[in-house]
Amino acid sequence: MSGNLAEAAPVTGRRRPATLRPAALWRGGALPAPVEEPKRTHLEVVPTRSQRRARPRALYAGIAVATLLAVVVAQLLLSIGISQGAYQLQTLESKQTELQRSYQAVSEDLNRVASPQNLAANANALGMVSNSNPAYLRLSDGAVLGAPLPASGAAGTVTGTQGNLVPNALLAGVSLVTQPQQTANPSPAAGQAGNSTTSGGATGSGAAPTVPLQGALPTPVTH
Amino acid sequence: MVSKKMLRRRTAMTVLAVAATVGILGAKLVDIQVVRADALQKQSVTAKEVSTPLLGNRGDIIDSDGTVLATTIYTYTAAASPKDAIAGGRAKMVEAAAKIGAITGQGGDAVVALLDAALKENPKSQYVLIKAGMDVGTFDKLDKLPYPWLTFTKKQARSYPNGAVAGNLLGYLSQGGDAGLEASENGCLAGENGEETYQRGADGVAIPGSTVVQKEAKDGGTLKLTIDSDLQWFAQQTLAQQVAATGSKFGFVTVAEAKTGKIKAIAQVPSLDPNNIDATDPSFWRLQPLTDPREPGSTFKALTAAMLIDQGKATPTSQVLAPYSWQSGNGADLHDSGFHAPLRLTLTGVLMMSSNTGMSQLGRALSDQTRYDYLKKFGIGDPTGLPYPDESAGELHPVKDWDDQTKYATMFGQGVSATQLQMVGAYQALANGGTRIPLSLVEGCEHPDGSVTDIPNSKPTPVVSAQAAATTLGMMESVVTDGELKKQLQIPGYRIAAKTGTAQQPDGKGGYLPSYYVSVMGVAPVDDPQYVVSVNLGFPTTITSSAAAAPLFHTIMSQVLKTYRVKPSTSSPADYPPYY
Repeated sequence: MSGNLAEAAPVTGRRRPATLRPAALWRGGALPAPVEEPKRTHLEVVPTRSQRRARPRALYAGIAVATLLAVVVAQLLLSIGISQGAYQLQTLESKQTELQRSYQAVSEDLNRVASPQNLAANANALGMVSNSNPAYLRLSDGAVLGAPLPASGAAGTVTGTQGNLVPNALLAGVSLVTQPQQTANPSPAAGQAGNSTTSGGATGSGAAPTVPLQGALPTPVTH
Repeated sequence: MVSKKMLRRRTAMTVLAVAATVGILGAKLVDIQVVRADALQKQSVTAKEVSTPLLGNRGDIIDSDGTVLATTIYTYTAAASPKDAIAGGRAKMVEAAAKIGAITGQGGDAVVALLDAALKENPKSQYVLIKAGMDVGTFDKLDKLPYPWLTFTKKQARSYPNGAVAGNLLGYLSQGGDAGLEASENGCLAGENGEETYQRGADGVAIPGSTVVQKEAKDGGTLKLTIDSDLQWFAQQTLAQQVAATGSKFGFVTVAEAKTGKIKAIAQVPSLDPNNIDATDPSFWRLQPLTDPREPGSTFKALTAAMLIDQGKATPTSQVLAPYSWQSGNGADLHDSGFHAPLRLTLTGVLMMSSNTGMSQLGRALSDQTRYDYLKKFGIGDPTGLPYPDESAGELHPVKDWDDQTKYATMFGQGVSATQLQMVGAYQALANGGTRIPLSLVEGCEHPDGSVTDIPNSKPTPVVSAQAAATTLGMMESVVTDGELKKQLQIPGYRIAAKTGTAQQPDGKGGYLPSYYVSVMGVAPVDDPQYVVSVNLGFPTTITSSAAAAPLFHTIMSQVLKTYRVKPSTSSPADYPPYY
């Protein structure tokens, strides 16, 4: 018996009247030895001051329960949030796929219209010529190097009179800027692209710019 | 009152009961978590787990400026389940097929025919291919149709946005075997597919946190070439014009940087459009300037002249009387391409007039073995080492196999065969002060992690002295300043060294074919060589001499000088006298 157990003492006037406390309220590791109590002498365990203070209070219980509830609610909200996120993720992912697809489509278009075949055919159609007699101006002393001559309209076309001779299957159906009905990649038999350069260039500069590429281009055949 | 004894018994019972419960639960726990863990895991997971491949993209091939020459795109395949298509009645199926056919371009009837054929074979058919290889636009439109029985699969495909520009070099991917750089650089380009698994809820949405990447996908590297796609296109375009104008069977043009050996353009006509290989004759699918060796002819004389100068056995003014035909006395019987009275030529004149008899008499000053060793150093008889499949090494027989005719023929490019690129490599040595730097086509392969591999070997090989190389170029200038084709070869403002070749080709039966393989090879500017250009035409019919190739050499060389802003020459030509 340690100090945990108050000695059994008769009720005195100094002490506040106390009721018999059940054994369950005994705090301590060991069960108290059963005490043979004479019925008359009503004995009870008197808690010390510190024991009274250590007694659990309703406030603490409230805090514990509230915390528990809060944890449960937070967990619930979190998992709702996460599964909500999964749906959002899926929506965004499908949007990303869609955007990737349109990126692919436009970059395919860009790459094929940026091919030298298409550029040269369009330059030709616009009546542009290249200068076969380049000359240079040396900045240090202003000297002209080479023999400057004006570009000749007849000899200077980039593709010559035979049109494009470097095949590009992807350009099938891509029209020229000046003649929406004419393509940069004529069939081998028809080499008419170069013949109409001057007329094409004249009409092309006067007419309102046309937008030749509308909608999707034909399927590329790849290997 | 509870007796002490009773209390003990109760306590013991309780402890026992708790222990028993814990024991049973523990045993079950071990059973589930340890003993049958794998089986249960599998069972639970397979019920809702979905595995999707993570696609590793094949890398792009780009030119020296970053222009995309080959890239990976996705194409889409549409398939239908005929059983489900007909489920709503035939009228509805026909209506749906009409809509599908209008988008794919097949027409509704063709789609109905496909569905009907599948249903006829098996009324419960769940699969029929509607269309493969569709682009994104077509797929997007089909995807918007409200038919759940129409399904799609995505597939990687290769696209070559510039078509036949460098097409022969790039090669292609096909089920019958890959070709070109696509085959030889597969180690750089190929990506590796990965795998991802996730568990799918009842509504098809991934269960949060269940996504597991089983294997990361790895993208392939980007292969950067030394090629300039604009110059490459120009070379192919003008070559195609010249091939047509001269009635040639084929033609090659190669442009290389003199100081680095980097190939800026390598054109072949007929060209291969890798987007549509069937449009080209299969013998022109490969890059013949690398795979098909031919007797180079008189362009070889520049190499023999360089050896003579380097060995001190001749000077640009060494004199020789060159008759039309000449016999060595040991069996060799040689003659020049056109009849002429005996000419009093210097070594310079021998190159300018391209005299076989003159070259043979001067070349005798070198032993066969010495010439053989020089040729080896020039790169003749060995592959250039460019990363292209099935490159040919040409044929340079060992000296012991040379008969008297071969001994002399090898001085002017017969009895020996070389690819166009081997010849370009040899001229590169002359243009680079006598030091040969291996030709290169690839700058390197950049992997997604930033590392760069496949950087070509650039170990130089000294061939002749810088003095001998410069003197040889000076002698070759006479071809442009005074030669027969001077009007077609000159470019005002630039000193150009060139050598023509009109080579007969063996017919494979010990004789020669009646038509010629004509070429012009040259270097400019001579005072500070920057570029080597080689133009070869195969079997021209309207003009059968190197005059067929000269205008194209002029066109290409001017374009090269213009494109790369090469400064005009500031010194005057070497002007060695061709006659004495």
